[in-house]
Amino acid sequence: MVVNPAIVALVIAALVSSLLLLYSAGFGWHLVRHWDLSSGSELQINLERHTYLISTLVALVLATEAVSLLLFVYNADRIAPLFVGAMCAVGTLNTSAFGFPALLVKILVFFAASTWLILHHLDTRGYDYPLTRVKYGLLLAIAPLLLIESYLQIRFFLALDTDVITSCCGSLFGTNRQALGSELAALPPMLAMSLFYGTLTLTLAAGLAARRWPWAGYAYALLSALAFVVTLAAVVSFVSLYVYEHPHHHCPFCLLKAEYGYQGYLIYGPLFLATALGLGSGAVRLFSGVPSLRTVVPSLASRLTDVSLGLFFFLLIWVGILTAHSALVLLGNEGI
Amino acid sequence: MIELADVRKAFNQGQHNELWAVRGVTVHLEANRTTVLRGPSGSGKTTLMTLIGCLARPTSGRVRLHGRDVSGMTERFLTELRRQTFGFVFQQFNLVRGLTVEENVMLPAYPLGVPRRDLLRRVHALLDTLDLGAHAQAKAEWLSGGQAQRAAIARALVNDPEVILADEPTANLDTELSQRFLDIVADLKRQGKTLIITSHDPLVYESPQVDRVVSLRDGHLA
Repeated sequence: MVVNPAIVALVIAALVSSLLLLYSAGFGWHLVRHWDLSSGSELQINLERHTYLISTLVALVLATEAVSLLLFVYNADRIAPLFVGAMCAVGTLNTSAFGFPALLVKILVFFAASTWLILHHLDTRGYDYPLTRVKYGLLLAIAPLLLIESYLQIRFFLALDTDVITSCCGSLFGTNRQALGSELAALPPMLAMSLFYGTLTLTLAAGLAARRWPWAGYAYALLSALAFVVTLAAVVSFVSLYVYEHPHHHCPFCLLKAEYGYQGYLIYGPLFLATALGLGSGAVRLFSGVPSLRTVVPSLASRLTDVSLGLFFFLLIWVGILTAHSALVLLGNEGI
Repeated sequence: MIELADVRKAFNQGQHNELWAVRGVTVHLEANRTTVLRGPSGSGKTTLMTLIGCLARPTSGRVRLHGRDVSGMTERFLTELRRQTFGFVFQQFNLVRGLTVEENVMLPAYPLGVPRRDLLRRVHALLDTLDLGAHAQAKAEWLSGGQAQRAAIARALVNDPEVILADEPTANLDTELSQRFLDIVADLKRQGKTLIITSHDPLVYESPQVDRVVSLRDGHLA
């Protein structure tokens, strides 16, 4: 195992988060079974009082998860020079079978956590605990995911061995292999660009339409999720090439490096945030019929949509600028 | 207007000194009326009043205001509700020493963001009504018992609440000042306020200004 401050912080955060979430899930299970707002029983009043503490704990744990994802990727990139063959975070994550699964589950937890935090925020805006049961039901689904994440992450750190010869990003995101990264890298740039600009334009249109027609808000949430996947594919397929100014370097992780001006943070930051808020806006709209939230949902949903829209718009423009300013000429060279 | 359904309140629950101050009170208090919660010391009347005024939460049971459950409300809404619905007159008046009468009366209105000029106008109108206009700039600690109580009443009224809760308001007053308090109660009734007063003073609960007396003993309705 490699020990550095970031790994120690991530392991401690994973252990503390798991413990707190296990306790909270136990309470959540109790709450889901016994919650009855019409009752004035001691049990119900106790549940109402405890939700303050538990919700605060869960909010803290889930907010930590967002930071943890960032630190995990940053650290994987920073320790890459310790491993033979590793050029960036890909090499580090490839040192064992747990690296990429841990990252994938961390991303899933990030979106589940952001949705939970948004619903929690909405719940606190209603005077009668309108979403408390839903919130704790969702928590019961997130808890196992977070435990799996902690397990994979700790196993990944334990398995880190500097004697292991690992593969660099070139082999994972090369166009001549049978892996998802290679499939994405092999996407023709014209098709990837059309998909990227088309999906993002459609997403922005749905977001603008949601201002007038609330049903479009659901379409916006779904399109946000689609835009997330398409943007990641676009990064591998063509954005990375323009940033590196190299026709065969498809790695989405090298973008996080200083030599490329940390461009990755300017792409992934807005992308993750815009998607999380887009999904959250859709989740919020599901509860527009709850009487105590009737006035809160429209304003919160439109605020979330507006910020998300702004971030997607920034992403669209930023990718356009990166493409336009690159010395690499990609389109029109496919036949060469 | 205010409904208590099987309300119970325990202090130090589960400990050796556990005390049940209120034991299953069910009562409905009407709007625009003056109700006195009467009972000997330790009967639970002050605890019941803090539950009605949302200063404390019941251990079990529900408190409803205009049909809406307030006993389980989150703190965000309770603060707003307390500020806008209830005015409190405490037994010891709880005026802030070192501040003037005017400043004490203005205090509960600060979080509402009322323009200072409007607020001052309102405060002085209240102080004039309660014969305290001349003492607006006097420090709280300079006031006599009767003046301190009227300042506390002005403070309770500054946000124009629907309900005034007064805890043993005549406990520290002589008969003449107690009578003055009851005159103020009559004025407030005329303005359509709902008053809930805890007292074991016959001068209060036998007063013609009082519409209803709810008797308590050992935490139960007597």
